[in-house]
Amino acid sequence: MSEKALESKPKADLADFLESLGISGQTLLLLGILTVLIAFFAITEDRFLTSSSLSSMGFQLPELGVLSLAMMVTIIVGGVNLSINATSNLGAVLAGLMMTRLIPEGAAEGQILLYIGLALLIFLTIGVLTGILNGLLVGHIGIPPILATLGTLSLFQGISTGLTKGQTVTGFPEQVQFLGSERFLFIPLPFWIFVIATVVTYILLNHTAFGFKMRMTGTSPAAANFSGINNNSIIMRTYVYSGLLAAIAGMIVMSRTASAAYEYGSKTYVLLTILIAVLAGLRQGFGNALNIFLAVLILQVLSTGSFMALRGVRGSTFFKDFSWGLLLVAILIINYHVRGRRTHG
Amino acid sequence: MLKSIIKRNEFITFLTIVVLSAVIGIINPTFFSVSTLFNVLRASNVYAIMAFGLLLVVILGGVDISFVAISAVSSYSTHMLLLSLGYEGGILLYFIIAGVIGIAAGLLSGFLIAQFDLPIFDLSLAMVTLWYGFDLFFIGATANFDLPEGMVGYYGAHILQVQDPVVGQTGLHISVLYVLVVGVLVWLLLRYTTIGRGIYAIGGNREVAIRSGYNVKAITMIVFPILGLLASIAGVTQGGYQRNFNPVLFIGQHLDVLAAVILGGAAITGGRGTVIGAYLGVILVQLINRALILTGIPVEWQQFTVGVILVVFTAVPAIRARRRKRIGHTEESEKFQEI
Amino acid sequence: MAQELLRAEHITKHFGGVTALDDVSLSVDEGEILCLVGENGSGKSTLIKIISGVYKADQGDIYINGNHYKQLTPIESMRQGIQVIYQDFSLFPNLTVAENIATNEMLSTGRFVVDWSEIYRIAEDALERVGVSLPLDVEAGTLSTADRQLIAIVKAILADARLIIMDEPTTALTQKEVHALFDVIKDLKERGISTVFVSHKLQEVREISERTIILRNGKKVLDRDASELDVKTIEYHMTGREIDTSSLEFSEPRTDATPLLRVENLTLGRGFYDISFELMPNEVLGITGLLGSGRNELALSLFGHLPPESGRIYLEGEEMTIRSIEDATRKGIGYVPADRIREGLFLPHSISNNTVVTIINSLLTRLGFIDEERKDEVAEDWIERLDVKTPSGELPVESLSGGNQQRVVLAKWLANHPKVLIMNGPTVGVDVGSKAEIHHLVRNLAKEGTGVLLISDDIPELMRTCNRILLMRRGKIVDEFVRERTDEEELNRALVAAGGNGSGTGTTTAG
Repeated sequence: MSEKALESKPKADLADFLESLGISGQTLLLLGILTVLIAFFAITEDRFLTSSSLSSMGFQLPELGVLSLAMMVTIIVGGVNLSINATSNLGAVLAGLMMTRLIPEGAAEGQILLYIGLALLIFLTIGVLTGILNGLLVGHIGIPPILATLGTLSLFQGISTGLTKGQTVTGFPEQVQFLGSERFLFIPLPFWIFVIATVVTYILLNHTAFGFKMRMTGTSPAAANFSGINNNSIIMRTYVYSGLLAAIAGMIVMSRTASAAYEYGSKTYVLLTILIAVLAGLRQGFGNALNIFLAVLILQVLSTGSFMALRGVRGSTFFKDFSWGLLLVAILIINYHVRGRRTHG
Repeated sequence: MLKSIIKRNEFITFLTIVVLSAVIGIINPTFFSVSTLFNVLRASNVYAIMAFGLLLVVILGGVDISFVAISAVSSYSTHMLLLSLGYEGGILLYFIIAGVIGIAAGLLSGFLIAQFDLPIFDLSLAMVTLWYGFDLFFIGATANFDLPEGMVGYYGAHILQVQDPVVGQTGLHISVLYVLVVGVLVWLLLRYTTIGRGIYAIGGNREVAIRSGYNVKAITMIVFPILGLLASIAGVTQGGYQRNFNPVLFIGQHLDVLAAVILGGAAITGGRGTVIGAYLGVILVQLINRALILTGIPVEWQQFTVGVILVVFTAVPAIRARRRKRIGHTEESEKFQEI
Repeated sequence: MAQELLRAEHITKHFGGVTALDDVSLSVDEGEILCLVGENGSGKSTLIKIISGVYKADQGDIYINGNHYKQLTPIESMRQGIQVIYQDFSLFPNLTVAENIATNEMLSTGRFVVDWSEIYRIAEDALERVGVSLPLDVEAGTLSTADRQLIAIVKAILADARLIIMDEPTTALTQKEVHALFDVIKDLKERGISTVFVSHKLQEVREISERTIILRNGKKVLDRDASELDVKTIEYHMTGREIDTSSLEFSEPRTDATPLLRVENLTLGRGFYDISFELMPNEVLGITGLLGSGRNELALSLFGHLPPESGRIYLEGEEMTIRSIEDATRKGIGYVPADRIREGLFLPHSISNNTVVTIINSLLTRLGFIDEERKDEVAEDWIERLDVKTPSGELPVESLSGGNQQRVVLAKWLANHPKVLIMNGPTVGVDVGSKAEIHHLVRNLAKEGTGVLLISDDIPELMRTCNRILLMRRGKIVDEFVRERTDEEELNRALVAAGGNGSGTGTTTAG
């Protein structure tokens, strides 16, 4: 074993020091890319850094961002959660149906707010319940996470489909749009939510015993088990947290679009959150919420920036996918070159 | 000999198909008809062709989700190209041009993976986003229904025509021949060529395969172009049959093909899988989809039913595995007899 | 009379600034059985890789069959008849035995098409040549370790091996299988095929070796006829110092106090039956037996991984039901596993993280967050106390040698202040120097009041550390030995007798 160490001599160097601060090479790389992109678009597109463009970015990306955090925690613990989008939509559908069916015509503002409060409760409950189900299947029963969450994805989306018969729920009271359209200190509320969610996730993962155990379980469930960690409990709690985040994402979507649909984002969002996870350098047992945050920002900047730059060109909204794919290929190749000296998982 | 057949995963899949068909048939006797058979076969064709390609990657030990995008981009760009040239001929040229594009796209993936040692899944994640984006932005964003003269009849190109009591005239579409040819070729590759044995070897133990002298890079750069080619054949076939070419063809359906390959007995960790198994897996997935419709469950509750089935069917073996572990089934207790 | 097959002269190899091999020379004659012994880091793997052409020596010459090589390639080495059998046996678990045997041969012909009848012919011929019989159509992964090893040997012979190098070949074999392997090696010798046997199991080295070569820190320190060497001498040369066992303080177990651990009629079907014993304070109790004796299951059961079906466990006099590992850990039982890579360590994580994993809940600030400073302090403290050799606690644990890794596992459990520590094969794959230190540690633990249950099949280890030793066979305790009244020979005999169809406590077969 020590001969292997001879061949790849790891020294305690700057990279290790930064890593202990939670700032890894990947973070710096993403920060660098983000800065370059922002600078590029700011220079080439005079309308890029205007408050209206920034704020529209600030309203669009948070739902994907929060969903990415929901995916992130399950990857760190050694699994995956394909049902996150279905969870968001389920929360939105149930809350939506409740509000559109139960709120009487011409109700007073106070009453409406009460119903909205109830809607919030529904979201949180759905987040917890879906998380418990996932946690049971993956942890206690031991179904491989891909299969388990694929099943729950169909289950949750199926409930949404069944209840709405495929129709989008509309007719929300306008107070619902508060979250999705208001600002605080010039920054869109949903963006604040994304920031808070990132900070909370970061603290959870890096500064709590729970986060510590999550990372251990994710790295080696066998060793975790033999070290006295209750894997089932850790996995359960992780999926519940993931479900809560997914539900919050659903809140943002419902508030922004004033609607609830069973298939909102169903073809693309989950894959995108995985793409973001890979961009962020996530893997079992290791992950930084900050990287996710930066990766989401990068995707948004690329999307908006390229859309502006190609204004007038047919199909300009689709260039972003092409650019995202290119970006990921570039990052994968960069990581390959950096990987040589470090032990990789 | 019989015992070894029975133990194999493919046989279990076959059995499941038989049982499921029987159950559906009991609920809805019209299921047992020639037209159903021909329908199932035809619908399976494009997925089977893609499954045969994906099978190679899975045996190699990886998972690829970008083949659906290659399907779309190769068929759609071929179509738009030929359209702009005023082409009025048959489908053969489509296959040739799309085939070249598919092989090129596959080579790109294969090269990146071999040269930079990139994880197969991660790269395919990048490529699926990239190719669909490329398709939509550079080629076109809307489905096109303008088929050349020579392809208008493709929809009804049957190799076999039969009178069905309920439906009337029903035919077996020519695309079933593609499946046969591709299936046989892939089977020959896997069983009778060094490359094919190399795919199994790498999937079984990559280190040892390298030590034994298999050229992993070369094999990687052969497998992915094959997948690309097969994806393009599937894309053109589908486009010709549905009489339109769609830039986002098969989007989201990568899981269906992967499920078919796994249900057909291939191991997700690599080293195992057969052409027959993959085909059976595709048929099974088709049947499951139809079973729901034929059982009369309202459309809006079908996905929910799929979810319940998936959860139950994955929970049961997992619970049994857990229980076996609890009974102290360690490797050492196996040696109980040995001393 | 015997012809010289291989000669390596003045081999030197550097990696970066470290010298892995320093002027090492050796020679192997035709039909000779040579044992290569050395600690981790002694250079033995490097030497093998140079002989097989995987590494190129910086200085030195290699002569094979009279041919001189300055730079040897793997293909040339193989062509000259040198075959290495690695610990994974170079097998494809998903392919049939026939294909496994014939693959290298088929590949070397460079043909594109595969001829299955040829594969079967090659495989059958090879099996005949070696004189073994294996089912050709079975997936190699389903066979036993011993059979898989045979496939590797058959492959080597097929490649016209004149020298077979075996790297730690007996790790997963039962006693019977080890002797079967030795028979094969002797048979190879009869045919003029030489074997280089790399092993750390000194008893086995003594049994099979004709000549023993010892490496230490990259230098050859001994090259002698095996009959002139005993285990003590080998150990001395491996580590460069006397393994001081005399200073091992044997504390007397307090027979009047409440037993730390008392087990009554413990039973687990397909594991062990009716086990009863006591572990007194200041005592190290050894449990031994061959593979399949149930000693492993017993350890796992006491640790909560395989809860017993019936029987009672008393910890410090109090009855306990231990239903899970979490239970056991909380109640003060620790477990150092046999497979430390899979079950004991989180390889990519830092040494400090690995050290504090059992006590992380107690390293929190008042607000409930991890107290980073205290965590680092505690980790540093344990790294020092157990003498883990590393420049930094932040380095990943996988960068450590086997011996140091094991210290981290120990640190992890000691940090939890267990009442009873179960150690399962704690010095497997650990260099001799670390091994002795771990033994000291075990005795000290006992002296300080922690009860230690030592599960091991290493007789010298048991004799050096335990006050008493229980022998298990087929799930039952069949004998008990007290250190002062027994010796290694008696233990050895008892252990081996327990595996044969010999006399003694004859119990009926378990199943």
